[in-house]
Amino acid sequence: MELQLGLALPPPPLIPIETFHLNSYGNYETREALGSNALSWPLLKLGPADNDINNIHHHNSSSSSSSSGGGAGCKKRSFDEAPFFDEKRNVPKTLHLLLWTNQPNDEDDDPSNVLHENSSSAIFKNDGEGLVGWPPVKTWRKKVHHQIPNGGAENNRLPAVENGIGGRASKSTYVKVKMEGVPIARKIDLSVHHSFEGLTNTLMRMFGISDGNRKIFKLTYQDREGDWLLAEDVPWRTFIRSLKCLKLIRSRG
Amino acid sequence: MHKKMAFSFPDEVLEHVFSFIQSDKDRNAVSMVCKSWYEIERWCRRKVFVGNCYAVSPKMVIRRFPEFRSIELKGKPHFADFNLVPDGWGGYVSPWIEEMAGAYPWLEEIRLKRMVVTDESLELIAKSFKNFKVLVLSSCEGFSTDGLAVIAASCKNLKELDLRDCEVDDLSAHWLSHFPETYTSLVSLNISCLGSDEASFSALERLVGRCTNLKTLQLNRAVPLDKIANILRHAPQLVEFGTGTYTADVRPDVYSDLAGVFSSCKELKSLSGFWDVVPDYLPAIYPVCSKLTSLNLSYATIQSPDLIKLVSHCPNLQRLLVLDYIEDSGLEVLASSCKDLQELRVFPSDPFGAEPNVSLTEQGLVAVSLGCPKLQSVLYFCRRMSNEALVTIARNRPNFTRFRLCIIEPKTADYLTLEPLDVGFGAIVQYCKDLKRLSLSGLLTDRVFEYIGTYAKKLEMLSVAFAGDSDLGLHHVLSGCESLRKLEIRDCPFGDKALLANAAKLETMRSLWMSSCAVSFAACKLLGQKMPRLNVEVIDERGPPDSRPENCPVDKLYIYRSIAGPRFDMPPFVWTMDEDSGLRLS
Repeated sequence: MELQLGLALPPPPLIPIETFHLNSYGNYETREALGSNALSWPLLKLGPADNDINNIHHHNSSSSSSSSGGGAGCKKRSFDEAPFFDEKRNVPKTLHLLLWTNQPNDEDDDPSNVLHENSSSAIFKNDGEGLVGWPPVKTWRKKVHHQIPNGGAENNRLPAVENGIGGRASKSTYVKVKMEGVPIARKIDLSVHHSFEGLTNTLMRMFGISDGNRKIFKLTYQDREGDWLLAEDVPWRTFIRSLKCLKLIRSRG
Repeated sequence: MHKKMAFSFPDEVLEHVFSFIQSDKDRNAVSMVCKSWYEIERWCRRKVFVGNCYAVSPKMVIRRFPEFRSIELKGKPHFADFNLVPDGWGGYVSPWIEEMAGAYPWLEEIRLKRMVVTDESLELIAKSFKNFKVLVLSSCEGFSTDGLAVIAASCKNLKELDLRDCEVDDLSAHWLSHFPETYTSLVSLNISCLGSDEASFSALERLVGRCTNLKTLQLNRAVPLDKIANILRHAPQLVEFGTGTYTADVRPDVYSDLAGVFSSCKELKSLSGFWDVVPDYLPAIYPVCSKLTSLNLSYATIQSPDLIKLVSHCPNLQRLLVLDYIEDSGLEVLASSCKDLQELRVFPSDPFGAEPNVSLTEQGLVAVSLGCPKLQSVLYFCRRMSNEALVTIARNRPNFTRFRLCIIEPKTADYLTLEPLDVGFGAIVQYCKDLKRLSLSGLLTDRVFEYIGTYAKKLEMLSVAFAGDSDLGLHHVLSGCESLRKLEIRDCPFGDKALLANAAKLETMRSLWMSSCAVSFAACKLLGQKMPRLNVEVIDERGPPDSRPENCPVDKLYIYRSIAGPRFDMPPFVWTMDEDSGLRLS
């Protein structure tokens, strides 16, 4: 019947019939505990939410067969409401694609388990700065914070470090290129380059640097975080993906 | 029917009455009264706001409101500010500009937020709208100073050009010199985001000098301190001013020059900028401090004693943005000296450091909540918090409408009791009845979401990170928060059940963002299939989501209501779950 109505997901089933995973409610306290809080937190008014808590406790202490019975009951009600799907023009507020069963994630049904096992989608992604996007500081603000405090003067060598310049249009494959000592910046089409060697050759031609002199220059780039890095320290793909702006600088020493 | 006719006014009268109704919400309500009000209202709507550029098509807006003069559009999800939305996601303004170019030759205002704007679009704006006056680009990208040069050269009636927080491709500082010498209508200019190595000072000075109505001028970091005096001398009528770099070798002549011009700016109410500020030059602004209502020191990397001196000169502040260098001691001074403070933002000076570099704790916020009775909006970054402090803050300031707290380390517990911060945030939603915006952080269980669902009846935007235990948390929010319009969630164990059980709720909201959560691809498909008015977008840079098992959680999920159907400008890493993809399910 589920399949006919197109309500069911492919396995695993949405409505769990397995035994509850008691540990998932470990953090859930009873209402008594809420009321006796040291900060005299007022009792929550009785409402649907409170009933949820009671139900959870009821399910926790009940046998697996009785909770699966409850699940089946809920399923039946959701069928009664299924015709809503045909009334696409005016969807009532109560529409749900699944009836809330007071049975949050249990083990087999919980995609977060997959999440934790799957290292490629692990929560902690490394950005060189820990978590991506955390703490929630705007990117342009981060750039300011790379120099703290009173650092303004010492960055003369790379004058654009803290400035949010570059800003490659998402669709554009052109980036700005500057050369130390040359006042006017150029733009270069990245999509026609596939290696550092090719890119460097183009740049040397563009700025009229002879083969004999090319060793004097190093290619640096500004990444999306606003940091300046040496281009050849990273793989080409990483370079291409995080690149915002290029600059040729003279090697020191 | 006859009765209705007898009571109805002529259209012209109603049109005049409606012209006094400014808020979009009220105009929407007016248009719902009856067919004739709908008709009259749509012909006299001059201002249109579109909270999501993909929720409606430009053609639909033009058909409905044939005479508007001003449009505000928003593009990318808010989490784009924090790099969570991949480059190239979308939010392009060009389809809108192209449609409007044909339909509204008299368009005067365009305000865009988080959109991709190309130089071609700027050129089209300059060319198409004969009486164009206001261009506000907020957190936009994709254009260069070449496009700005065209705007400067062509829009003879331009009053406002605001580029706040944009990423502009800075090809040449000389775009400013494209404003014609006869051009004098500028009222507001914000170029604080520009990063030109060299600024075109003479062009800037001349522009400021001839635009005698200029009220707002926010310069960029390329403008050095010794140029500020000259610029200000030309514009003593300024109300809002943003300095460039506020640093120079300490020279008495530069200082006295600066102090002189500041004290002659009698209208100044707002100051910002202060990049690389040297504390020795700060007393130059003391003469205007007593009149300031807004002060943005969020780029001023100076220590607490200097900040305290400055803040205590500003008794009338209503808005303060500052780095955490102000520390608890500075916030205590703020609490005792600024009784009109309404908005406070404290940013982290070292957001990625493992250890605190300043002494800024929950105590500073407690002090301000006690001392500033008008405080209603807070953004506060700190490293420790307690339930007790949050309960005190909530009791002190039930008038909060916006409360955003970021405890920098995810899942930080109450440092006194080591308990979750559920009760503290619960107090915020219980006491602050008018709360519209809330950001959560710290260690939180599903219980905090029960409090939010129970009490936060006026909450419109909620940001959640690293919180909750199960679907129950999300279920409480979706089933309880009646006014919720925007919900953004990252790294929480919320999955299919809560989402599917509240599918209809999503149609009442502008958008839902979930990244690194536990929603399966199968559930996304089901939602897309069963809810035709929702655009369900799966964003995954790892490759097609159907290359993984159906129950595998999707990387990023963005759901929004739309009467325009699926969008057509999706990059290869975005998949939309429409009815077709749903059919493939069976």
